[in-house]
Amino acid sequence: MPELDLDIQVKLAIYEITAETGSVPNSSQVSSKISIEEDEVLAAFRQLHAKRLLLPEPGDPHRIRMAPPFSGVPTRFPVEANCRLYYANCVWDAYGIAAALHCDAISRASDGHTGEPLTLEVKNGEPILKPYVAHFAVPAAHWWDDLIFT
Amino acid sequence: MLLFRSEETVNQWCAAHNIPRRPLVNLQQLWQLAVHWYANRLTVESRRPAPDEMVLIFKSLDLTGPFWDPKSDQWR
Repeated sequence: MPELDLDIQVKLAIYEITAETGSVPNSSQVSSKISIEEDEVLAAFRQLHAKRLLLPEPGDPHRIRMAPPFSGVPTRFPVEANCRLYYANCVWDAYGIAAALHCDAISRASDGHTGEPLTLEVKNGEPILKPYVAHFAVPAAHWWDDLIFT
Repeated sequence: MLLFRSEETVNQWCAAHNIPRRPLVNLQQLWQLAVHWYANRLTVESRRPAPDEMVLIFKSLDLTGPFWDPKSDQWR
């Protein structure tokens, strides 16, 4: 089997660490995981950002703000899955964590206006449907213009 | 992208923040979007859908029009 490109190795390491711990790793942790120089990890972060697979923390390229669907910081979309707590970037990504991990999941989210607790649940590969709605404030052509707002 | 109990609270949020009301997506559509985007995200071959693929995914979920077109310039 041919050796994987470095950015793919880094991407896989990011997601493996995140899935195993619930926390999105920084460049140092990825460097240790796959035994490469941290500068090479940072270069891979830039490549993955260009491919819209990762968003570095603004002002700190060593940290990852988003490795979609996972968030590198706590958000209003916590997701409980595999006995761990993850954070999703948005309501789409709350379901995305269940889809990515292929497991049951519960997100104890809240109404964007009232703050009322609203629970999203995925069981046996299907969502438990409720009459809730998601509002997409930004058109698809502009999702990556300001991904944190999107 | 935020979650709301109902269309009513979406409208209240849009008014409170002076943000235009945009399309709503129900939970079944949202789950399908999540599966299309992320089901293979932890694998070697994972990648974000290309623009033309995105359009087909959105269309399959009845999400059509320039809002859902990643190449649209109508919103600039």
